Amino acid sequence: MAEGGSFTLQTILQQLLVGLSRTTILFIVASGMSLMLGVLRIPNLAHGSFYMIGAFLAYSVSAAIGSTMGFWAAVLVAPIGVALLSFVIERGLFRHLYDREHLMLLLFTFSFTLVFSDLIKLIWGSDYRSMPVPEMFQGSIQAMGLTLPLYNAFLLAVGPVVAVGLWLFTQKTKIGKIARAAAVDREMVDAIGIDVQMVYSMVFVIGCLLAGLGGALVAPTQNITQGMDHGIIMETFLIVIVGGLGNIWGALTGALVFGLSHAVGIMVFPQFAIVIPYLAVVVILLFRPRGLLKSIW
Amino acid sequence: METPFRYSSSSIVTPIVILVILACIPWVGSRFFIYLVSGILVTGLLATSLNLVLGFGGMYQFHHAVFYGTGAYCTALFLTKTALAPWVAFVAAPVGAALLGLAIGVICVRLSKLYFGMLQISLGSLVWAVVYRWYGFTGGDDGIHGIPLPSWISGGKPAYYAVLLTVAVCFFLLHRIVESPFGRIFQAIRDNPVRCEAVGIPVQRHQLIGQVLAAAFAGVAGALFVVVEGSVFPDMLFWTLSLEILIMCLLGGWFRFWGPMVGAAIIVCLRTYVGSYTEYWTLILGVFLMLIIFFLPDGVLGLAERLTRRHAKVSST
Amino acid sequence: MLHVENLQKSFEGFMAVADARLDVAKGDIVAVIGPNGAGKTTLFNLITGQLRPDRGRVLFKDEDITGLPPYRICERGICRSFQIVNIFPRLSVFENVQVAVLAHRKRTLDLMKPARNQGVAETERILTGFGLLEQRDRKAGTLSHGDQKVLEMAIALGNEPDLLILDEPTAGMSPEETAHCLALMKRLSAETGVTILFCEHDMELVFAVSTSIMVMQQGKTIIQDTPEAVRACKQVQEAYLGEC
Repeated sequence: MAEGGSFTLQTILQQLLVGLSRTTILFIVASGMSLMLGVLRIPNLAHGSFYMIGAFLAYSVSAAIGSTMGFWAAVLVAPIGVALLSFVIERGLFRHLYDREHLMLLLFTFSFTLVFSDLIKLIWGSDYRSMPVPEMFQGSIQAMGLTLPLYNAFLLAVGPVVAVGLWLFTQKTKIGKIARAAAVDREMVDAIGIDVQMVYSMVFVIGCLLAGLGGALVAPTQNITQGMDHGIIMETFLIVIVGGLGNIWGALTGALVFGLSHAVGIMVFPQFAIVIPYLAVVVILLFRPRGLLKSIW
Repeated sequence: METPFRYSSSSIVTPIVILVILACIPWVGSRFFIYLVSGILVTGLLATSLNLVLGFGGMYQFHHAVFYGTGAYCTALFLTKTALAPWVAFVAAPVGAALLGLAIGVICVRLSKLYFGMLQISLGSLVWAVVYRWYGFTGGDDGIHGIPLPSWISGGKPAYYAVLLTVAVCFFLLHRIVESPFGRIFQAIRDNPVRCEAVGIPVQRHQLIGQVLAAAFAGVAGALFVVVEGSVFPDMLFWTLSLEILIMCLLGGWFRFWGPMVGAAIIVCLRTYVGSYTEYWTLILGVFLMLIIFFLPDGVLGLAERLTRRHAKVSST
Repeated sequence: MLHVENLQKSFEGFMAVADARLDVAKGDIVAVIGPNGAGKTTLFNLITGQLRPDRGRVLFKDEDITGLPPYRICERGICRSFQIVNIFPRLSVFENVQVAVLAHRKRTLDLMKPARNQGVAETERILTGFGLLEQRDRKAGTLSHGDQKVLEMAIALGNEPDLLILDEPTAGMSPEETAHCLALMKRLSAETGVTILFCEHDMELVFAVSTSIMVMQQGKTIIQDTPEAVRACKQVQEAYLGEC
């Protein structure tokens, strides 16, 4: 690379910081998938679709209300809308299939990616959409010679909040505890007589809600397009695998590995930046085939 | 002691009859129909190669299309970028696909079922991303068009016969593999990998070999695609195609050798005819898939078998 | 033939096998007994490679086989059946046993010769020995539980093992089936000279067939001796009284 010599510590740190805020989004989406994988054992291909729907919903809400208020409304409405949608799907269709093979469940989630991608085309058309960064977060922070857009700083703050929230949910609430137990031994939980169906339903909805939240948060930072479901699903798969299936902290670790190596990739190898995180994951898996953290199942 | 093996007469006659019928098509069918049947044959070979590892090996081969696309790109690149003899390009397809299968397999095979599938889908889409972005070499999202084919396989009829002959040979080989000791062990691994290890079978090695074989056959299908279409594009390596082939296997019935072929025929016909009426083919495919999962879990051939068995029972009482 | 010393395995702090010792001589029928949770199945899993021990050694024919993968251990001549039925449900009865025969003959990578006429005589001989020949074309998953347990044992014999390990061969069997199983084990040992190591809850069966008995409690070997000596041992009586 010609400009390779001009890397200063600052530009590197700068890149890593931006990468880190992207990591936040990856973490939010991946933790939703991880939760569902741990409890329901579903590799949810529709997760990316829920993310995309979240982004499109956020766009519509923010466009209708406008300015900073619109943004907050979008961040609130998009995940809830996605959660409602997923609730209907889970109650109406998914719960009849839980005892089927993984392959069937995977294909079933795939049928939703197909349906949603066309439905989005029907509702929003096939053009690019973009959502402005809310006024409140325009501009950037300067600190120690680094410049960080305010919105990225906001994302950096959201990540830990979601992580702690999820941790509290799984550790402190009854549903969270049952969900953890169900992830380890489903029959046992069944035998105790807990309404597992209700727990599954909750986990499904919360998992999708996180995907929707991720979509809403990412909306101001990039174009909202038809293909965005695909990119995110591959990334979350890798993150969840490298972190350890069904483990929330694994999702965080995986997101860090992925986001930071991607940031490094953009610096050294712009055209094929995406290759770097994949390589990082492959190298890790060669040494730790079961992921970095202990997977729950 | 061992008795020599004999094929039963129906297992020889039926394929030959079908082959003869297929060979007659260019003399009676329209150009469009010939094109449609070639498409079905190529897709059917692709789906059957997937089913070798999916239905018979029980492996979650979630991203099989990447081997298909790799085969197609190998052929296309050899034909357009080198002056080597054309047969080199066609040999390159299965070899290239098999090598990729080996590379991805080595990483994935050590993981448990679901991990295997998820990692494979991710690594496959990495290959897609590279092909998609590497304008200088692969033509990026435009793909490669107007690939020069040797005259003896270009154009309607010659291409059709080349496809038919290759597919027939591949099906023969695939059938032999399924019926071979390896095929039997492979099915045992599908049913119970733990027990296989305990009777002295190195499971992961067999799975790796299975993956390489399946990839090679998918590569052949890719090369045939080049023969039919004269072009390649990155969508051939896209994950939605992989899942579409999975649907074909499910639809036809993945515990039966001919299931994926039947499924491929149905899906390709549907796509061709429905796709010409509406641009929302994806939506229809999605709904169709939901219906199959709920109402037809054994696939069409499974359903046919159930119906004939019921019929036999009724007529015998 | 088989020598196990100081074997240890724990699962997340729970010591399943703490200190297991075992000696099996050629031609013996050795039983491992002990209360539920004494670590018998874990011990077998450690010997045949399904699990890797934390400490200790397993010697077979004077070679160290500790921690080898299961298929390597099987190649060396140890074959086993499982406590929970562990067959190939979608394959036919014939194919179930044939898989083991093919594996033993190292034909598993043969891609082109049809499988249906390989190892037929050998497979049918085993099926006949176990009285399963009439059912040869049935899908294994559709057999009765008792027949599945018998098939389970038949698969293990497909490899012509020197040492056959049976994990609770009669679990879930009716009294007649148990008696049948007992006769089968005796006949196997007499006819083929195969060495048998098994664990069992049915004390009558244990004392009727075994030439040596090893008693486990809480993952430890208490004693290994002849049936008479074990019957007389005070510690053993305590272990069993403690359970009741």
